Amino acid sequence: MYSSYILERFQRPRFAGGLRGANGTGKAGSEEDGDVIKIYILVDETGLITSAKFKAYGGVCTIVACDIACDMLIGKTLEDALRINNIDILERMGEIPESKEYTSLLVEEAIKNSVEDFYKRKEREERKNQIN
Amino acid sequence: MGRKVYLDNASTTYVSSEVLAEMLPCFNAIYGNSNSLHSFGREASAIVDRARDRIAHAINAAKSNEIYFTSGGTEADNWAIKGIAHAYSNKGKHIITSQIEHHAILDACKQLEEEGYEVTYLPVDKFGLVNIVDLIHSIKKETTLISIMTVNNEVGTIQNIKAIAKIAHDYGVIFHTDAVQALGAVHIDVQDMEIDAMTLSAHKIYGPKGAGCLYLKNGTRIENLIVGGSQERTKRGGTLNVPAIAGFGKAVEVATRDLVINQQKLRSIRDYFLRNVEEKIEFVHLNGHPQQKINGIVNLSFEMVDKESLLMLLDMEGIAVSTGSACTSNSIEPSHVLKAMGVEDVVANGSIRFSFNKNVSRSDIDYVVEVLVNSVSKLRAISALTKAGRK
Repeated sequence: MYSSYILERFQRPRFAGGLRGANGTGKAGSEEDGDVIKIYILVDETGLITSAKFKAYGGVCTIVACDIACDMLIGKTLEDALRINNIDILERMGEIPESKEYTSLLVEEAIKNSVEDFYKRKEREERKNQIN
Repeated sequence: MGRKVYLDNASTTYVSSEVLAEMLPCFNAIYGNSNSLHSFGREASAIVDRARDRIAHAINAAKSNEIYFTSGGTEADNWAIKGIAHAYSNKGKHIITSQIEHHAILDACKQLEEEGYEVTYLPVDKFGLVNIVDLIHSIKKETTLISIMTVNNEVGTIQNIKAIAKIAHDYGVIFHTDAVQALGAVHIDVQDMEIDAMTLSAHKIYGPKGAGCLYLKNGTRIENLIVGGSQERTKRGGTLNVPAIAGFGKAVEVATRDLVINQQKLRSIRDYFLRNVEEKIEFVHLNGHPQQKINGIVNLSFEMVDKESLLMLLDMEGIAVSTGSACTSNSIEPSHVLKAMGVEDVVANGSIRFSFNKNVSRSDIDYVVEVLVNSVSKLRAISALTKAGRK
């Protein structure tokens, strides 16, 4: 049912877990629907994503899609991160059952939400600094 | 090669050596077509008759000719539902079943609905039991058939079949039961339980795949599902699978002979497994009836964990389990059985069926629990869900 690449990556995800100091978090999915994912990003002063990790409640493809997304995010600018779409993620995943393709859409949404969250936090911080 | 433990026996068991020994001569020594008139055919026919006698005896059928061989449980279920409904359509076109039946029953009922039949799908309580009062209230004068499974294949709950069959007869309705998971697990006496039609299958009781039967009480009308031959008293066309039928007969005989001892073993293993899981893993729910259930099936929900991920991690360590019925395990939808029992989707999403066989040892269970503890803990560590607010 799953390729050896998917199974290997599922068994040993490289970017699973929380990220200390993350300054952007993106969530997607719902517990009721069976998938919840959170992508954490760490963005430096130049706007480059230096680290990314994920937490996921879901099946094999959900976990692998998140892991691949984190891999893709690291080293990218925020603008480039926003350009990652579900097709890019699906291509990296290789052959997966059609019923699992939705996981790439969830991940795309979480990536966008993480970047958005970074900008929101930054804006809040800047406003706070202006007030002070 | 690493250790392997097979805990998916409700999907299928292995074929026992006793059964295999019974089957082997039927491949190349006794190979005639059991419907042929010559000596080769008669020899094969004698094998089939013996299997029929063994099954009839095991379930206390009044006569051996009440056993009709089929390709398995799914065919027998389809045949019972469609064949009986069609045969009695002049009396009425209403059928009653439950929401937790195997898809062989549910899908056959759906087809009948497309033909204009009305089907009542009875709800079940949180343990998976059909409510007798609901059943009585759903019977109409057009009702011709009630079909309720004896044992549920996902959670192992045992229905009150004798009481249900009695009600059916009080209202002049035919009663069918899918007893595929019950065979070898509970004592079945079709006369005492007043069963008119019953589905059985070989491969859940150490018999081969591709063999099953429909018990049909003499006098119960049924239309053919498969035509094209005079086999099975003209009711089911097709050359009989003599090796599989020979194995089926033997498997039923052995399952009945060893029922008590096997159940003792299974109960001991099941209890040992449950004790260990409950001790070592938190946020686990047992699905099904706490007492009125067979010993071979345990259905557990692990919160904050997805069932597919857990199944795959167990598989990677050589442990085979199931996320529900093997016939629906590719589905991403939550189990229709757990849904009917009112189990929340978020709990059902983490449900795994462990089903044991008579040879599973305590050492196997120790290994399974160790891997289970590690796998659940690994998935919870990376889960986007947290323990906060959970009971």
